[in-house]
Amino acid sequence: MVKKQRISSIYFSILGICTLIFGFLDIIVAIGGQNVSIGALEIPADMFRGGWGGFIVLSSGLFYLSGCKNISEIHQFSKIVMGSVLLWIVAGCDIFGMICESIPGGEEGPWFNTLGDFLGTYAPPYPPAIFLLPFSLVVIFCPFRKVNRKDTIK
Amino acid sequence: MKLNVDQRWNLIDKIVKRTVSFGVYRHTLKEAIGELTVKPVSGVPIAIAILYGFWSIFGSFAGTLCTDGFFVKLFDGYFLPWMQNLFSKTPAWIYYIFVGDPQADNCFEAFGMLTSGLFVAIGVVLPAVFIFYLMLTLLEDIGYMPRLAVLIDAVLHKIGLHGYAIVPTILSLGCNVPAVTACRILETKKQRFIMMTLLAIFIPCGAQLGIMQEVIPDTMGWVLLYLLAGYFIFGFIMHKLLPGKSPEILLDVPAYQLPTLRNVTRKLRMRVICFLRSAVPFVLLGCAVVNILYLAGVIRFLSNALSPIFVGWFGVPKETVGPLIAAFLRKDLAVAQLSVIEMTKYQMITAVVLISIYFPCVATFAIMLKEGWKELLGSLLVLITVTFIYGGFLHLIWILLGVQ
Repeated sequence: MVKKQRISSIYFSILGICTLIFGFLDIIVAIGGQNVSIGALEIPADMFRGGWGGFIVLSSGLFYLSGCKNISEIHQFSKIVMGSVLLWIVAGCDIFGMICESIPGGEEGPWFNTLGDFLGTYAPPYPPAIFLLPFSLVVIFCPFRKVNRKDTIK
Repeated sequence: MKLNVDQRWNLIDKIVKRTVSFGVYRHTLKEAIGELTVKPVSGVPIAIAILYGFWSIFGSFAGTLCTDGFFVKLFDGYFLPWMQNLFSKTPAWIYYIFVGDPQADNCFEAFGMLTSGLFVAIGVVLPAVFIFYLMLTLLEDIGYMPRLAVLIDAVLHKIGLHGYAIVPTILSLGCNVPAVTACRILETKKQRFIMMTLLAIFIPCGAQLGIMQEVIPDTMGWVLLYLLAGYFIFGFIMHKLLPGKSPEILLDVPAYQLPTLRNVTRKLRMRVICFLRSAVPFVLLGCAVVNILYLAGVIRFLSNALSPIFVGWFGVPKETVGPLIAAFLRKDLAVAQLSVIEMTKYQMITAVVLISIYFPCVATFAIMLKEGWKELLGSLLVLITVTFIYGGFLHLIWILLGVQ
């Protein structure tokens, strides 16, 4: 059990640092005002997705880092969960945006997209939150134990 | 049978032994997460994330998928040519009122009662209102709203309100009418007056947000920021100037829970039907009234008469008088009308802010009247003052920045 907790702590520390870095990059790119593409990764430069989205990714990283010590304690674990929830919000919005974009056929095209264009919408590059999404899902399987509250009613 | 004090205590002890179990209280994950959402350090980023999600889904669903994806194509490609063909043999004035500009090739620019009116109501505003109320209902039913009220309580006390004022504020982002009614949850007359006035002036409704997303997507953030700043600045001033009390209250925070499909669909249906009943007739009526006023030359006369105020003080073209008249009927319609007037980005920001703050729409006006004519008169007095000060101030900012 102790070993598992240690592994979880190390895992979420690393994820926290990566998330924090991506959050910073998001904000810096948004301030710079020029999209940055590195392979399959694209950091958006618009103030909404890059600036506010970056702030949320950064906060997610801070939640991970503040919760990774003594992870089995329920309050610490709740920070890890919240870090993941913040990432899910940003990544979920990116994915929802792709879905909404992929369905209609465009201004001059047919009512609905062709299969090729529909699938093409989901091709890379992706924003950082989508890359972090699978790693944040680990929180669902993470063990935790309930702890006794100090102010019990005895 | 009458018991003495000792017998009563003995009886209480026996009941307690049989009914109350003592143990150690275990804190659940739900409670721990609940605590995180109300502490300022962790609660503020969470609130920002929720607002981000709210706005992002709103834009993707209403703008990208529904309006741009399907309704623009439906209305511009099929409905407008059909209406133009249908009314082609009618007298010119009837054509102008119902179909609008004969040269227009899209419903945004036509401004007919049946073309722009239906497009704005069904094609732009309905998806926006639907997704707004769906997300609001989910947040309410999950139990996040009371936590947001706790989180923002300290800030709202600075403007004489308390945390629960966030409920009418957010409701107002959907429609001002239920929001004005929701002001009754506030304790004192002073609080209700401040809230009602701020809602009428600074909070754009869902319909207006939807159309702003369509017409000024790039500058919408600035408009909202400006309105938000006004909400707090004028709230603070009113709190300091108005007599009356702003008491503290205890907020009840329920546990987080999964929303039920039945509750969500019922609330959503009720709210969307309420919107359709109150908004669609006003949008159509608004188009018709403005077109009639144009035909009668009233708008041109008002534009010329009010030109010194609009051009000199607010720094916007005199043609914005027409949309401002339409704004009394529907603000979303007025913003749509602004889109065809030639002006700079900064003039557009001023014009949209003016439409937001200058007068509540007629439905809100009626519901405010129900709350009391003295309150309504007071709110209107504040509103006129704010419009002049704030509109002129915005013009001054552009002049100082040299961007006008």
